[in-house]
Amino acid sequence: MSSWTDHLVIAPIVVPLIAGALMVLAGEGRRTINNILALASVAGLLLVALALVGLADTAAQAPSQTRVYRLGDWPALFAIVLVLDRLSALMVLLTSVLGVAALVFSFARWYRAGAYFHPLLQFQLMGLNGAFLTGDLFNLFVFFEVLLAPSYGLVLHGSGIARARAGLHYLAVNLAASLLFLIGVSMIYGLAGTLSMADLAARFGELRAEDRALVEAAIAILGVAFLIKAGIWPLGFWLPTAYAAASAPSAAILSILSKVGVYAVLRLWLLLFGGDGASAGFGGGFLMIAGIVTIAFGSFAVLATQSMPRLAGASVLVSSGTLLAAIGMGQAAVTSGALYYLVSSVFAIAALFLLIELVERSREVGADVIAVTREAIGDVEEEAEQSDEETGIAIPGTMAVLGMSFLACALVLAGLPPLSGFLAKFAILAPLLASGADLGAADWTLLAALVLSGLATIIAMTRVGIDAFWASPGATLARVRVIEIAPVLGLLFLCVGITVKAGPVMRYMETTARSLHAPQEYIRGVLPPSRAERSAP
Amino acid sequence: MSGATIDSLLLLGAVVLPFIGALAAGLLPTHARNAAAWLAGAVSLGAFLLLCTVYQAVTAGGVVRLELEWMPSLGLAFVLRADGLATVFGGLVTGMGALVVLYARYYMAAEDPVPRFFAFLLAFMGSMLGIVVSGNLVQIAFFWELTSLFSFLLIAYRHHIAAARDGARMALTVTAAGGLALFSGFLVLGHIAGGFDLDVVLGAGSQIHAHPLYPVALILILLGAFTKSAQFPFHFWLPQAMTAPTPVSAYLHSATLVKAGVFLMARLWPVLSGTDAWFWTVGTAGAITLLVGAYIAIFQHDLKGLLAYSTISHLGLITLLLGLDSELAMVAAIFHTLNHATFKASLFMAAGIIEHETGTRDIRRLSGLNRFMPFTARLALVAAAAMAGVPLLNGFLSKEMFFATALTADEPLPLGLKLLPVTAVVASAFSVTYSLRFIHGTFFGPDPTDVPSMPHEPPAWMRLPVELLVLACIMVGVLPAATIGPLLDVAARSVLGETTPEYSLVVWHGLTRPLVMSTIALALGVTLYLALQRHLRRGVEIVPFLGALSARRLFDRAMVFLSWRLARSIDRVFGTRRLQPQLRLVVCVALVLAAAAAFVRGVGPGNIAPSEVDPVLAIVWAIGASCALGAAVTAKLHRFAALVMLGGAGIVTCITFVWFSAPDLALTQLLVEIVTTVLLLLGLRWLPQRKDGAGAQRRPLIERVGRLRDFGIAATAGVGMAALAYAVMVRMPPELLAQHYLARAYTEGGGTNVVNVILVDFRGFDTLGEITVLCAVALTTYALLRRFRPAPESVQLPAQQLDQIALDAARPEPRRGRLVADWLLVPSLIGRLLFPAIGIFAVFLLLRGHDEPGGGFVAGLTASVAIIIQYMLMGTEWVEARVRVLPLRWMGGGLLFAAGTGIGAWFFGYPFLTSYFGYVRLPLVGEVPAASALLFDIGVFALVFGATVLMLIALAHQSVRGRRATPALDATAPSPRVAVGAATGDD
Repeated sequence: MSSWTDHLVIAPIVVPLIAGALMVLAGEGRRTINNILALASVAGLLLVALALVGLADTAAQAPSQTRVYRLGDWPALFAIVLVLDRLSALMVLLTSVLGVAALVFSFARWYRAGAYFHPLLQFQLMGLNGAFLTGDLFNLFVFFEVLLAPSYGLVLHGSGIARARAGLHYLAVNLAASLLFLIGVSMIYGLAGTLSMADLAARFGELRAEDRALVEAAIAILGVAFLIKAGIWPLGFWLPTAYAAASAPSAAILSILSKVGVYAVLRLWLLLFGGDGASAGFGGGFLMIAGIVTIAFGSFAVLATQSMPRLAGASVLVSSGTLLAAIGMGQAAVTSGALYYLVSSVFAIAALFLLIELVERSREVGADVIAVTREAIGDVEEEAEQSDEETGIAIPGTMAVLGMSFLACALVLAGLPPLSGFLAKFAILAPLLASGADLGAADWTLLAALVLSGLATIIAMTRVGIDAFWASPGATLARVRVIEIAPVLGLLFLCVGITVKAGPVMRYMETTARSLHAPQEYIRGVLPPSRAERSAP
Repeated sequence: MSGATIDSLLLLGAVVLPFIGALAAGLLPTHARNAAAWLAGAVSLGAFLLLCTVYQAVTAGGVVRLELEWMPSLGLAFVLRADGLATVFGGLVTGMGALVVLYARYYMAAEDPVPRFFAFLLAFMGSMLGIVVSGNLVQIAFFWELTSLFSFLLIAYRHHIAAARDGARMALTVTAAGGLALFSGFLVLGHIAGGFDLDVVLGAGSQIHAHPLYPVALILILLGAFTKSAQFPFHFWLPQAMTAPTPVSAYLHSATLVKAGVFLMARLWPVLSGTDAWFWTVGTAGAITLLVGAYIAIFQHDLKGLLAYSTISHLGLITLLLGLDSELAMVAAIFHTLNHATFKASLFMAAGIIEHETGTRDIRRLSGLNRFMPFTARLALVAAAAMAGVPLLNGFLSKEMFFATALTADEPLPLGLKLLPVTAVVASAFSVTYSLRFIHGTFFGPDPTDVPSMPHEPPAWMRLPVELLVLACIMVGVLPAATIGPLLDVAARSVLGETTPEYSLVVWHGLTRPLVMSTIALALGVTLYLALQRHLRRGVEIVPFLGALSARRLFDRAMVFLSWRLARSIDRVFGTRRLQPQLRLVVCVALVLAAAAAFVRGVGPGNIAPSEVDPVLAIVWAIGASCALGAAVTAKLHRFAALVMLGGAGIVTCITFVWFSAPDLALTQLLVEIVTTVLLLLGLRWLPQRKDGAGAQRRPLIERVGRLRDFGIAATAGVGMAALAYAVMVRMPPELLAQHYLARAYTEGGGTNVVNVILVDFRGFDTLGEITVLCAVALTTYALLRRFRPAPESVQLPAQQLDQIALDAARPEPRRGRLVADWLLVPSLIGRLLFPAIGIFAVFLLLRGHDEPGGGFVAGLTASVAIIIQYMLMGTEWVEARVRVLPLRWMGGGLLFAAGTGIGAWFFGYPFLTSYFGYVRLPLVGEVPAASALLFDIGVFALVFGATVLMLIALAHQSVRGRRATPALDATAPSPRVAVGAATGDD
């Protein structure tokens, strides 16, 4: 622990913490300082995250795949540890990308729409990074709180009745989830005597048979807390409302917040049940079924709305359901496809949330209502329109860019080519249907769910998109600034990037998934050899 | 890029070029009509020429192949594979594209934003090329959906017209759905064949036929092909797509896009055909489409509608040929695909010219155009004759082949029936009829009287593509072997390989049975046309016998039901937007899952004996439990009472901590209770009053049942939680983290107060996180309250205060100590005196924390209590005039201090938050223990203090702002401290 690069692991937590503290100290009035600090922080985070991905990915050659950062220099047996492996590095990178996008977008006007946007955003990033990096169960709870507390503020940011109502619902539900988390963690500590995830996994095999049921109950309670975050049916009804009401940059960040729940499931479930111990595969069937049901409900929710923000919120449900169902299959190859899907859908949903704000801005108030009534009573204008049938109408440049971006988001979310959504679904389905394996009911159900949810998404999004871009009566020209559209295009460009570079990206995901499904590597990486060996079967 | 030959690179160029062109065209200015047209023309011709070069290589040496890595681990590579079929189709796509671009240049109006049009057209061309030269199933699906997408954008080119939007959406919905089915089918096919590479799949024919999943793959793939190629019952989108500009109809919806399905069936013909399943599905769909399409086409009044249904019918013909499982039929299918493209595209273009010149496409309004545009009329006549299958034109030849195969095909029908020849003749007769109608109705008869503009010949360049296509019809029709022969041969051989049958491409086969059938069809068609004259002249829109059966309407209804009504009811029934049901579900799900997990395996006995029940503690707990229950019962109607009882439950918790010798926890709990209760009380003032507070009348039954149910859930969850807690407490794991902490708190952490050492050292990182949470919560509270506008009734002074003010005013001479301003006089004096004492106590708690009960968190809360007392007793303005707490400075500073302590360790080469302790010799005092953890604790102290005060101030300022918001009250308002003070006393 002497090289400065060793401390890089904790930088994603410390950098936004310091930036946020300085912003609080400087006060809200000093906008320039706040802006510069915010920009420096997210830029720094992005660089750090890239470096971390590099570190995690080259670690394959080293004897242990994981980099462990023991806080306070205490022995790993009882220290809080941060663990850098490919998964955490990937999630940190996603967080920083979204941080950059949301921040740049907010520079146009959102950061002024309420108090303390900047420090809250920084603390939010800190919480996310901490949750992804920590290897300690209670510390995970702490970082859940660190990411939730600012998110309450960010959901409410910009005020208004809809935000207040949705925000307070969000708060209440997540407080309940935190309570469950706490109950789960306490029980696990009381039964296993440890809070370190690795140690817990190592001791899992040694649990008294009489205690095993209780530990599993504790993990089930813990799982409920995670699944609430992920928005799984029937625990996720608050999600579309809250996400739809949140201001655009907050919603963009929220798009990864729901993935924290998925991350926690992925990490803990595979760590504890991914091996071949007495409880191996515990709850996998439940995850799969819950995921499929969520996909179904999310697809109907996507169809059942005319409002773009709500549609985007509902598509978060579809995405969560897809991930959980894929993870629940419990196969490393499918998990790697799910990871690819996760990246793709996080980018697309964040881009969509940012985009929607720009699109809605140009629409008249009540355009949705008009569209609905027109659908109901039939289009009266249709006859009148026939006369000028000969020529098209030039789309002004702005609308064209917005329209194409919307289309791109729709394609990614629906899983249609040419963007990453298609490859993501392929990456999940191809290993399922790999030659030689027998296809079970679960495989067919997942295949059908993925394909049909894509169909529902494309139907809903074309309906809403056609309404917004082509059919809106008297749409006024939106004033959209470059720094607002740039993050959207940037995120979509990343979707293109992971499509073109699917080979290397997928290789990363596969290595990640393989090590997730071989929890021994993680345990050996974190614990001293004497302790780690105990768990060897 | 292994084994990339020049030819394969040229192939890559041909696919990529249209996309680059599309991008370039999209960036052109809106009205750069000529530039866009030149660009598009050059790109199409370029791609065409590149494919011609590739064609040379294909005729010489077989398959040109290029493989680029894409997702190697999943067996997905970007493979371009050009064989005979692919290059011939590719040539069709690009060559036709060039002609359409030329035509569109003159067809599109000057004010149209054509760069967008050409961009989409080129992108479509690229995607279509992508389908035909893909060497990988997944890649085919990839480009397949792209063609659907660009078709959608092109149909909706005139998106201000509702019909165009609807047509586009329908086309997209149907073809994208088909595409998804195709994708799934390919996944299954890949599963069967052991890979997605086309060569692998084509080499696994017997394996595929024998596999139990073959029917699944077949149905899914055919769903894709049928939707794309508008086969019955998915044909309805194609006529709706006619709202697209005519060049699009000519290109996408007759020559290329709709041939994708046919192409795919031809491509996979070697491995999918040859089974009964194939024969029945493909053959039946094709035959029905052939007949129904041709029949409906007769009764269309719109020129493009007629052509659209005719296209459907011809696609049905090709599909039927492919379904026949005969090599000769396969050749005929490819042949007819090419022929149909030439004559149908030229007819569409002719229809476009007519519309362009006359302003209408309605046959009922058109007539006698032969005199106004004789040249166009001749061209259309020839093309229509080809469509009808008149000898010496290309349509005749492929139709002859169709008749020939229809006569020889095996039909596994009962009773030895042979339906095919009859079907063929009837459908041909229909096609003669609608061709006649097209020509006769438009070009012959009296001069038109009802057209928007008087027609004349179009510009020569606009006619050129039609002329070229018609020339092709004639050339192929007269000299088939010399013109189309080699192409057809290469294409057929690439599919059929060794089994390519002998066939003769000559005009005159002698007096054969197909010729007889042709003649009968011609005669029948003419007769039918004459017979239908009266009906057609009536001009009714409804198709006889099929009028009521509209697949389009069924589809629309189904879509509205599925994607709107059903979705909404499911969203309503299986979802909720209300908080209470959501929370109920959270509790229930947690309960059920935990119970299930516990019961499935079964919980065994614990390993330590439970301690005895202490009666005193039991009584204390009974009090606490009833407080908690009381709080829950009264929470809805009596918030104040609920809050008080909540405090009672908190105190019991506190006592419990003391009971079990945890002074630190007890201290913290006590202060947290005090501060939160006070802050909540302050907040209570601003909640709106309950309207239904009386509670005298009985609540409705449903509400009582609901409350009973909720009580049941709550009780079950509570009992369950207690059971879990008990179960955990009678167990002791062999090793606890706490043992490490206890062992090392003093030796390595430098403190005798283990709790504090854990908080600031062992798990200081958690504390750092928690104070960040506190900071964020305080900021959020502040941000929320800054925008908060209380309800009007809350802004009013409470009734008690108003009474007192009235009393004061009524009193003749104010007596000191009896006025509203003097309220709480004694407590406020004591409070002022307490301020320094509490402050010092806070510092004391902070400093002793490492060794004795205390610490930064408790100290921060204590210090904030000092401030809270002042605000409550003296009033906001009084306090802020004297003491200026800058909570944000405290918070920011505290956070920085804590984090800085952690970072400090880096400079000594240790990880974040590594602590150091030692003894410092102070003058006078002597040696005192000093740990870096104390610095961290000071940060905690500052933050907790700042955050608590910030929340207090945010609440306190409500009363200041509340009065400001309603200036009318200012006159009678007492000093603000009373407003805050009184706020605590009422609800």
